[in-house]
Amino acid sequence: MIFVIEDDPIMARCIKNAAGADARIFSNAIEAMQALDEEMPKLIFLDILLTGPDGFTFLNEMISYPDTAKIPVVIVSSLDFGSKDLSVYGVVGILNKDTMTPDDIKDYVRKYAE
Amino acid sequence: MDVEVDGILVAAHELKAPLAVLRQLALSFDGMDDKNERIRHEMVNVSERAIKQVNDLAKVKRLDDRLFEMEPVAVRAVCDDVTRELAHLFGISRRNLKIKYSNRSRLVVANRELLHSVIYNFLLNAMHYSDAETISTLTVKDKNNFVRIDIRDFGPALPNNIWREMRDGFVKQPTSIAMRPGSSGLGLYIASKFSYYMNAKVGAVRHRDGTSFYVELPVSRQAVLPGV
Repeated sequence: MIFVIEDDPIMARCIKNAAGADARIFSNAIEAMQALDEEMPKLIFLDILLTGPDGFTFLNEMISYPDTAKIPVVIVSSLDFGSKDLSVYGVVGILNKDTMTPDDIKDYVRKYAE
Repeated sequence: MDVEVDGILVAAHELKAPLAVLRQLALSFDGMDDKNERIRHEMVNVSERAIKQVNDLAKVKRLDDRLFEMEPVAVRAVCDDVTRELAHLFGISRRNLKIKYSNRSRLVVANRELLHSVIYNFLLNAMHYSDAETISTLTVKDKNNFVRIDIRDFGPALPNNIWREMRDGFVKQPTSIAMRPGSSGLGLYIASKFSYYMNAKVGAVRHRDGTSFYVELPVSRQAVLPGV
């Protein structure tokens, strides 16, 4: 299972299409946090500027628990993070929405969720 | 950050979001024939150009924050990147571009990202205003302790007011250019603002059959690495 947390429904579908049938879309962080109680995804694609609690609130929540802290997260955002190291949050990669391609998503799926 | 700048950055983000979605949608199509593949490619290109312009506009508003560091930059490498990016667009617009490097391989003091945008906007401008089948030229040459990048187009002459503003340092604001229809002058505005920030000299030379835009950047004292 892969989680896609993205509040733009079309962008979310594009990411899901690239990630494969095993991906589940959440339009906000709260729904995704609740779903983490039921199932552990192998990988999470996370937008930062979400409606309601933002992506960093979600990341802080995740690293508060030993089981969810281990889940690899790929940030998908149009914000410029430069060369910031976000590995303390379990972030294994950052994709910029302006430049990413479906193959970038597939590469992360192959690496962490197959 | 002041309220106006903050508002512009929010607006830029909002404008960019649908462009990024359009780009992703175009990239998502599978199994296209040649004709549709070309259309898809153009959709991606158009979206990327628009995203770049919104990003550049947002950067103009962040210049006062001095976020863009000056560094030694290899001019030819930046020119190669930009011309590679725009080759397809020149091709489908039936415009040609010739590149002439006559400078020694010296580094200049600039910000790579901003210099990329300056050259990109000048070249886009040249493509837009050149007549079909003409050959625009990008020339890089040494001029004492500066490296000069010239972009020459063959089309309608530049109006007096824009030429004067370019001569004086930068285009004050995007404006409608009647003699060069279909443009707001936004690209020149962005290019001149970025050049000014980098302490580069920017200007334009009017010819009977077109215009040359140039930017002159100070040479860096840092030694050039082999192969740069």
